[in-house]
Amino acid sequence: MSMSSVARLAGTVVLVATCAFAAKAQTSGEPVKIGAIVSVTGAGAGLGIPERNGMLLAEKTINAKGGINGRPIRLIIEDDASNPDTALSKANELLFGQKVIGLLGPSLTASTVAVGGVTHANKIPQIAFTGIGPAVEKERKCVAHVLPPQKLNAQALLEYAKSIKAAKVGVLHDAGYGNVVMAEIRPIAESYGVKLVAVEKFEVGATDTTTQAAKVKAAQPDAVFIIATSATPFRNVKQLQMTQPVVAAIGSSSYEYVNAMGPGADNVVIPEFVVGEDPLPHQKAFVDLYKQTYNSTPKNFETAGWDAVHIMAQAIGKAGPNATPQAVCDAMRGPYSGVLANYDFAADDMTGIPLSSYVFSKLVGGKYTRIPFRIAQ
Amino acid sequence: MTRRLLWIAVALVIWAMLPFVVPRNIADLLVFTGIYTVAGLGIGLLLGHCGIVNLAQATFYGLGAYASAYCTVMMGLPSAVGFVVGAAISMTLAYVIGRPILRLTGYFLALGTLALSAIASALFFEWDWLTGGTLGIGGIPKIDIFGFVLDRPSRYYFFVWIVAFACMAAARNLVDSRTGLMLRAMRDSNTAAASLSIDLQGLRTRVFVVCALFGSLAGSLFAHHVSFVSTQSFTVDRSISFLLIPVIGGATSIPGIVAGAVFVTFLPEFLSNLGDIHQILFGLALVAVVVMLPDGLMGALNRIRARYAARGNRNAD
Repeated sequence: MSMSSVARLAGTVVLVATCAFAAKAQTSGEPVKIGAIVSVTGAGAGLGIPERNGMLLAEKTINAKGGINGRPIRLIIEDDASNPDTALSKANELLFGQKVIGLLGPSLTASTVAVGGVTHANKIPQIAFTGIGPAVEKERKCVAHVLPPQKLNAQALLEYAKSIKAAKVGVLHDAGYGNVVMAEIRPIAESYGVKLVAVEKFEVGATDTTTQAAKVKAAQPDAVFIIATSATPFRNVKQLQMTQPVVAAIGSSSYEYVNAMGPGADNVVIPEFVVGEDPLPHQKAFVDLYKQTYNSTPKNFETAGWDAVHIMAQAIGKAGPNATPQAVCDAMRGPYSGVLANYDFAADDMTGIPLSSYVFSKLVGGKYTRIPFRIAQ
Repeated sequence: MTRRLLWIAVALVIWAMLPFVVPRNIADLLVFTGIYTVAGLGIGLLLGHCGIVNLAQATFYGLGAYASAYCTVMMGLPSAVGFVVGAAISMTLAYVIGRPILRLTGYFLALGTLALSAIASALFFEWDWLTGGTLGIGGIPKIDIFGFVLDRPSRYYFFVWIVAFACMAAARNLVDSRTGLMLRAMRDSNTAAASLSIDLQGLRTRVFVVCALFGSLAGSLFAHHVSFVSTQSFTVDRSISFLLIPVIGGATSIPGIVAGAVFVTFLPEFLSNLGDIHQILFGLALVAVVVMLPDGLMGALNRIRARYAARGNRNAD
């Protein structure tokens, strides 16, 4: 080992020790307990695991900076196994057993709505990792959402189609998430000058969608939308040698899906929020910190986890150390500039994400590249 | 007799006090145990007394839940209407589907019920105009009994368990009746039962309809507890977990169904404290119970009691 290496190592040790000491010195007193429910196992694990990583990093960072008014925060994270019944039991345990001041999650819509019934009734702040769901959620003013409603995802897809002058669009979507986004696309497609020439649905988890892709190909669209949480339709579109531009919804943007797409991933455009390979200036610090900590590139759900903890911490800080959950809830309702997007939790959809928050990325060789197209304010 | 009454009185006092002394999350799990007991009772009747493996209970559970959700949220009707409509639809469907598929036996019948569950799960997804699809139906009101709203687990617990006890009493009545004797004769030998002029298909269909009724009631109870229903709660996985209830507890025993419901409700909850491997551990626990206790938890308990009784008799001699 050279002298310079020794010096670097010693420097790192001193820096880490200083940070650790500083963190201990800066926070004191009873930790502020925040509960979190994510799907770490089951069908929603692809969402829950990155969300958990983002939350843990945020907890560490906030505590290193002195916590909330000097008090450290403590996240109590539970796994709902992608099951709404379990999510409800976990919420009851966190809210009434652990007496957390607020709740983050869950990862899936069904669980979010189930848990929202308890948080709303007891006026406890909740920040969900889903877009707003059924109509009943509009009444729940203590349940904020850090991901966009599906209508916004639909608008983002259509904005891109309009920008590439795709007048005829074919759609491949699954019967779950894809169905919801599709229901939002239908009534507004015409206003974007888009005609839906073929809309083909397939089962969630289908292992072959060649028949549906062939029907879309036969309709000769100018572009193809793929709206699913699956890599299968991307592979099938490639196998059928379809040359039209493919635009995918955010649901299939994780690296797990991209790796499974194989060559089908090439040139796919995705409207999303965080391109880890080329982040926006305000996202860079988070992306660098995440890469340093986990040795991987963060995407949208990691960032949502990070933002949710910060939003909750800021609201608790604003409401004061002995504030009631209702006061935290009130403090949360307002604008917040996050890493994922600029939110406004006073908006009707309890998200307030503007359409202009979307960035558009293109997949090349399994890596994302941010393209210049943005939606105007 | 006095001793038995004393035990019953003690058990009733414990039952009545339980939701007030346990934390809210445990009270919530006790509510789910009651709901799963109702759903598991039907499966237990089919499995333990007819030898039929039913993998379609999530279908009737879903029908009950959606009926309650639709009647109360979309139509503004009282909760009781949802219960009745769900039960009527489930029983009718069970009769219409049961007549043809209950001609099958063994693995073929199990696969037939599995197919029914898969079809229903797909329809719950597809008919989003009725079920809300992935987004589901939210805002299902809590049950209100003469102005007393069952809006927390400690209150709903009593309602759910009274329904569960009523279902258990009905199941016990069925098993102890002449029909129960016919069921056991059919389970042990189809040919012998047929030679005694027992209408095998009619009998199986009747029990299948009763099973559907219990499934539907459980679904309605679930909907009013969670206040939200979506397709994620009525998949084939749910049918499998309902089947586990009698398999683990003991299919021929009604208290065994309660033991099985406690197992599938509480064990995953406690194992989840052990980290991300909790589902693997739950799977291992299931394998251990099935291999080591082939008659289920109640079968093992009965064996232990018989052994003690035999030892007591030997000592007396």
